[in-house]
Amino acid sequence: MEAVINMVLLTLLVVVTLGVVRLRNLFAVVILGSIYSFLMASVFIVLDAVDVAMTEASVGAGISTVLMLTVLSMTRVEEAKPAHSPLLPLFVASATAAILIYGTWDLPGFGLAQTPVNTHVGAAYLERSIADTGVPNVVTSVLASYRGFDTLGETAVVFTAGIGVLLLLRRGRSRARLKKRQEERT
Amino acid sequence: MEMLIDIASWVLLMAGGIAMVISAVGINRMPDVYTRLHAASVADTLGAGLLISGMILQAGFSLVTAKLLIVLAILFFTGPVAGHALARAALVAGVRPHVTDPDEADDACGGDFFVEAVPHETVRDDVDAITPRPGLAPAGRGSKPTG
Amino acid sequence: MFAAAALALLVALILLVVRALKGPTVFDRLVAANSIGTEAILLLAVVGFLTGRPEFLDIGITYALLNLIGTLAVLKYFRFGDLSQSGGEEPEN
Repeated sequence: MEAVINMVLLTLLVVVTLGVVRLRNLFAVVILGSIYSFLMASVFIVLDAVDVAMTEASVGAGISTVLMLTVLSMTRVEEAKPAHSPLLPLFVASATAAILIYGTWDLPGFGLAQTPVNTHVGAAYLERSIADTGVPNVVTSVLASYRGFDTLGETAVVFTAGIGVLLLLRRGRSRARLKKRQEERT
Repeated sequence: MEMLIDIASWVLLMAGGIAMVISAVGINRMPDVYTRLHAASVADTLGAGLLISGMILQAGFSLVTAKLLIVLAILFFTGPVAGHALARAALVAGVRPHVTDPDEADDACGGDFFVEAVPHETVRDDVDAITPRPGLAPAGRGSKPTG
Repeated sequence: MFAAAALALLVALILLVVRALKGPTVFDRLVAANSIGTEAILLLAVVGFLTGRPEFLDIGITYALLNLIGTLAVLKYFRFGDLSQSGGEEPEN
């Protein structure tokens, strides 16, 4: 069943991506982008990568939609016709993809026990995390307990970024108010 | 007892699934934004309600049930809000409802709901070209949306 | 039984993506996107039960809130032209 869900979701991802490439209206592209994020987050959930799914949903569907819209309010809605032939970028992208796919051939099998990832500290975390922290999810225990200070720093960074975005969004408003006030005066 | 609960959650989950599919079919088959919103609201309330009730029966009295109830409550409150905002934004942006008899619709609204200059049957197909219009005042019933 | 519910959700998801791609108006796409958000939340819950680990529903709560924020942000953009206006203010001009 999980395989079926995965196949359907990944197929839908491809379809949505083709839609994004084809459409020239940038609003539609932003909306399709948020749909893409929700589908991708569902894929992550099915793959049991809960924390990545959370990030994908909040960053992809939440913040980037808002940021893209802010950008759109400063530019035009229709995508401009490309000035150059798309052949060279297409070639570069295809070549990069080919190299990456060639690189995956040398990767060890998924979840193999002898890989470097699983032979060093990973096993120790898996063994001790319940006894050390009492958190049922190992990823969460690493993020919130073993690397608690690291996560605290990250949270501070994200918080600062949030404040920055809010300030940027407010700037337009105060400028509009200023204009209105000047008009009232004259 | 176990069996009864299983049967009940089967029924609820199936009904919920059917409601979701009906809503999705409705979103595809309905002629314009407003009727599509009507179809979408089936998924937000009925579909989600039935599915989550079915899952609650399976989860029993536990933390999972509490979380499911929170999700259900959020969906119940945010779905209509989003739907209302969507309909309002569409109306302000100048998307016209699809009606068979415009005069009757005008009568029903108690005024000239549609602007005469725009053909009544126009459901805008070019609306990928709709750009936001900061200047538009909120259009209510009976007021003329400047299209 | 959860497998059947998941299948129904997937069918609905496919239909909604079709609508999102067809448009024709931006608002049609938004209706579809909003519904896809709801569908993703329910799919998440159903998959949790399907795999016997329904503890991850907190993410469903996050999704539900984000879905609302995303939709309202887009709508606010259409209503006011940018995101910096607060709801009570009348648009300028």
